[in-house]
Amino acid sequence: MKKLKGFAGKILHIDLNNLTHHILPTEDYYEWGGGHGFGAKLFWDLCEDIEAVTDGRDPRNVITIAGSPFSGTNVPSAGGRCEVTNMSVGLIPRNRFTRSNFGGHFSSMMKHAGWDAVTVTGKAPYPVYIDVRNDHVMIREASHLWGKDTHETQQIIQEDVASVEVTSGWSGQLDGNSFGRTTQKASVLTVGQAGENQSALGCLIHGAGNAAGQGGSGAVFGSKNLKAISFIGTGAVEIADPEALIKARFITRDFYAADVDKSAAFAYPSLGGKPEAVTFSTMPTGHRVSSCHGCVNGCKQRNAIGYGNEVTCQTSLWYLGAVRSYKFGGDAKLSLSNRGLELTEDSLYAGDLANKLGINTYPIMGLIPWLQKMHAKGELGSGKEIHSELPYELLGTREFAEQFCQAIATGTDIGAHFIDGIVPGIESLGHGADVDNGTLHYPYYGMPEHGYDPRAELEWGYATLMTDRDMNDHGLNWIYWTVNLAKLEGINFPIPAETLVTRFVEKMAPYVQPNEVSAMDYASHNMYSEVLARQVQWINHYGRFWKNSALMCDFRWPDCVNTHREDLRGATGNDEVGEQVWWNAVTGEGISYVDGIERGRRIFNLDNAIWVLQGRHRDDAKFADYIYDQKMTHNKLPTYLWPATNEAGEWDYREMLGRQHSREGVEEWKSHYYRAEGWDIATGWPTRSLLEGMGMKDVADRLEQVGKLGSET
Amino acid sequence: MTTNKNSSEMDTGRRHFLAAIGGAGMLIGLSGTAYALRDEKIYIKTSGGALVVDLKKCMGCGTCMTTCSLAHHGKASVSLSRIQITQDVFKSFPQDIEMSTCLQCEDAPCVAACPVNANKASEDFGFVRDIDPAKCIGCMQCIEACPQTPKRVQWNPITRSAQKCDLCLNTPYMEEQGGIGGVQACKKVCPVGAIGFITELPEQNLPQSYVVNLRNENWAKTGKTIED
Ligand code: SF4
Ligand code: SF4
Ligand code: SF4
Repeated sequence: MKKLKGFAGKILHIDLNNLTHHILPTEDYYEWGGGHGFGAKLFWDLCEDIEAVTDGRDPRNVITIAGSPFSGTNVPSAGGRCEVTNMSVGLIPRNRFTRSNFGGHFSSMMKHAGWDAVTVTGKAPYPVYIDVRNDHVMIREASHLWGKDTHETQQIIQEDVASVEVTSGWSGQLDGNSFGRTTQKASVLTVGQAGENQSALGCLIHGAGNAAGQGGSGAVFGSKNLKAISFIGTGAVEIADPEALIKARFITRDFYAADVDKSAAFAYPSLGGKPEAVTFSTMPTGHRVSSCHGCVNGCKQRNAIGYGNEVTCQTSLWYLGAVRSYKFGGDAKLSLSNRGLELTEDSLYAGDLANKLGINTYPIMGLIPWLQKMHAKGELGSGKEIHSELPYELLGTREFAEQFCQAIATGTDIGAHFIDGIVPGIESLGHGADVDNGTLHYPYYGMPEHGYDPRAELEWGYATLMTDRDMNDHGLNWIYWTVNLAKLEGINFPIPAETLVTRFVEKMAPYVQPNEVSAMDYASHNMYSEVLARQVQWINHYGRFWKNSALMCDFRWPDCVNTHREDLRGATGNDEVGEQVWWNAVTGEGISYVDGIERGRRIFNLDNAIWVLQGRHRDDAKFADYIYDQKMTHNKLPTYLWPATNEAGEWDYREMLGRQHSREGVEEWKSHYYRAEGWDIATGWPTRSLLEGMGMKDVADRLEQVGKLGSET
Repeated sequence: MTTNKNSSEMDTGRRHFLAAIGGAGMLIGLSGTAYALRDEKIYIKTSGGALVVDLKKCMGCGTCMTTCSLAHHGKASVSLSRIQITQDVFKSFPQDIEMSTCLQCEDAPCVAACPVNANKASEDFGFVRDIDPAKCIGCMQCIEACPQTPKRVQWNPITRSAQKCDLCLNTPYMEEQGGIGGVQACKKVCPVGAIGFITELPEQNLPQSYVVNLRNENWAKTGKTIED
C-alpha cells in the first residue's frame, strides 16, 4: 500500500510485564483506518489467548488508545476524539471486547508527538505512568501519583513535563536531535481512585471532564498498575492536500456550521449545532463553551463558579434528580421537566466529584433512586438488611455526594457491593428481581440505560444488542432531543416528520435506498421490519469507520439534516464537505463515502469474530425482562415523540410511551439482521465465505479451530 | 495586494521611535520607506492591521492554530502556529484561556533586534511585521526581543529560522489572498468568531488593549455572558 499522509507512522506498544516499549509501523494497520479499527486489530494480534481472557482485569488484556489521520488536524469535530478498546469489566452474561471514547486534546497531542496510538499489554510490577515527549518514551514509577485524584495527577505531570522553559512561555522538548518548542501543557489520560481500585465503575479521565468508561476501562488501567499516560508533542501532522483541507473547512464554517454572531435561531445539532454547553440544568451565564481540538462548535463548558469545568451531558445530570428530590421533594428519578438554575451548582459539584475520582456516572445514576427507595423502606442504613453508614437522609446534598462517591471509588461501605458493576451487585444483595422488573433501568448486558429506552428508540436498543455495549451513537438520536425538548418548551418543531426522515434515509447508502422512508418509521406496526435491520446495519457500519475509527465526533456526525442549508441536506457523503472529502484531503488515499462504510463493515465483523471467540451466541442478544414484560411509562422528558406513520401511512411525530417489546418480535428482527450481515441465523456466528470475502481468512481459520464458524446455508 | 491606506501614508502621526538605534542605520539603507527619519530619530511605520481577540468567546478548539500552520507550512501543527491558544482546564472562566497573537507593535522590538533586516516592516504589504526565512540567520534575537509572554516569534526547528504572524501574507496553501486587506486564516476559520481584525492599532502601552468584546445579543441568547 502506498504511504498515506495523516498518519504519524508509529504505534507505541508498551509491554508492562517487562517495562519495555517498542514501535509497530502504522503502515501494517492502514486498512483498519485508525481508532477502533486499530484497537480491534491490535487486540486480535496482541491478546495472547482471546478465549481465556474472561475479565478485563486479566493482565493479558490489551488496551489501546488510538487516534486517526484526523487527530491533531482541523477536520471539523474530529481532530480531538480518541477511541479506547479493551476487554470489558462487569458486563453480563459475560465480558467482551468493548469500546469507549473521549475528547479533548489527547489524540491531537499524541499525533503531534508522532504517534497514532498507544497499546498496552501486561501488568507492571508496581504503579507506573507513561511519559512520552515526542519520540522519547519513559515508563516511570508512579507511587507519588497513586491515590491522587485525576485533576491533581494531571497537574503534577504537566508541571514536570513543562519544567524546561527555553524562552518565556515556551517549554523545550527533545525532538530527535533537535529541540522542539511548545506553549502547550502535556495531555494526560489518567484514572482516579475508582480505577486504581479496579472498580468496574472506574473510567479514564483526560482534562477536567473528558471521560471514557463504559466497559470498565478505568479498572483495566488499575489492574495493570497503570496510573496515567502523558503525551507532549512539538511536531506536525503531514497533510496530503492542505489547500483542499483549508478550503473545505472554510466552506464548512460559512455554509454548514452555526454562526452565532448572526443568529441564535434553532439549529439541528449535528454539524450545524450551536456552540452550547450540553448540560441539563440551566447554566449560569458566567461560563464559556469549550471544545475538543478542531471542533466546529463546542459542547462543553468552563465556569466562573470555580468547579464543574467540562461537567457535560451525562455527568451534569447523574445527581440532578437527587438534588431536585432534596430541594423540592419527590423521588430522585431523573426528570428534565424542571431544569432550573437552582439545581445547577450542586449538580455540577457532583459531576466534578465523579470526574476527580474517575467514576463512570452512567451506572451510578440509576442506582441513586433505588438507594433512596430502599432507605425509605427501612431496608438500607446503619444496621439494616443492607448495612451502610452513608447519610441517606441527606441524599441530594453535596455531603451525601461526597461520601457516596468516595464509597463507590474505594469499594467501601455501600460501594463494596458494586466493585464488579451495579447489576452483579444488586444480584448479590438478593434484589435481582428489581433489574428484571425495571425498578432499575439496566436494559442490556448489565449496562445502564443510556437515556433512550429500547422500547421507544428502536435503533438504540437493536444496535446495542448487535454490538458490545449501549451503542452510544447519536446519529439519529438528536431527533429525540430536538423534537421532545421543543414540545416541552411549547415550540412547534420546524421540520415536518416526513421531510426529516427523507433527509436521513438519503444518506443511508448502501443499505437503505433514498426512497425507503420506512427505515425511519418507529410505529409499532414497523418495529420488527427487515428495513429496520438495514437501518441499524448502516448505523453500525457507518459508525465503526467514520465515527469510531476515523474519529468524527458522534455529536456532530453524520450530518444528515442541516438547518443552515435551504434544502436541509447535511454534509454527510456530499462532494463538498462530506466525510470522504476530509479523509482524502488528509491522507491522499481517494476513497468514497461508501468505501468508508464498507471498511466499517469489515471492522465490525472483526469485532463480531472476537465476541464469538469470547463465547457470544445469538442467545446472548436479549433485553432485560422488563423491556418485554412491561409497557414503557416513564421518560425523563414528558414525551417520547419520534417520526412514525399511522395506519393510514401519514407521517408525524408520534408518542412512543406506552409500548413494550415482544420476545418473538425482537427475535424476528434479529433474524433479519443476521441475514443482512450474512451471519448464521441460529448462532449469530460469521461464515467462512463472509470472512474470506472481506480478506479475513485468518479470522475464519481461528474460528474454525474452536468450532465457531457459522453454517453457510 | 491591498495595503491599508492609513498605514501606507508617511506622516499619520502614528510613528514610533525605533529603540535599536545601532541597527537603524543599516535598516534605512536596506529598506527605504518602511522607516522614517525625523528629528534625528528612526521610526518604523505603523502596521496597517493587527489581530484582536475575545478571551471570553474562544472555546479553545485550536482550529486557528492548525489552520495557521496549514496555510503557511502545509501541515497541521501547534508549535508552528503563529497564534497560540493556551489553556489551563482546571482554572475558572475566564482565566482558563489565553490567546496570544502578535500585536504588530508600533515600535516592534523584534524588528529592531534583527541584525540582518530579515524581520522587517514589509513596505509593500501595509508594513506588517514579517520575517523573511531566506534572510533569517537563526540568531533568535527577535525571539528574545519580543516583550510578550509567550513570545510571539516562534522558532521553526525544521527551517532553523524564526517566524511570526504575517497576517497571512505568505500562505502558499491557502487559496485566498492573505495579508492586510485579505483573509487571515485564523480569523476566518474560528467557529465562534473570537478573533477580530483592526486597522487602527490600539493604545500600545496598555497590555489589554488588544482584547475586545466580540459577543453580541445572539451570543447572550445561547446563555453566555456578553459583559466585558
Ligand atoms: S513579535 Fe512581539 S515584538 Fe514583534 S511585533 Fe509581534 S508582539 Fe511585537
Ligand atoms: S493572521 Fe494568519 S499568520 Fe497571523 S496568526 Fe492568524 S493565521 Fe497565523
Ligand atoms: S479557532 Fe477560535 S475558538 Fe478555536 S481556539 Fe482559535 S480563537 Fe479559540
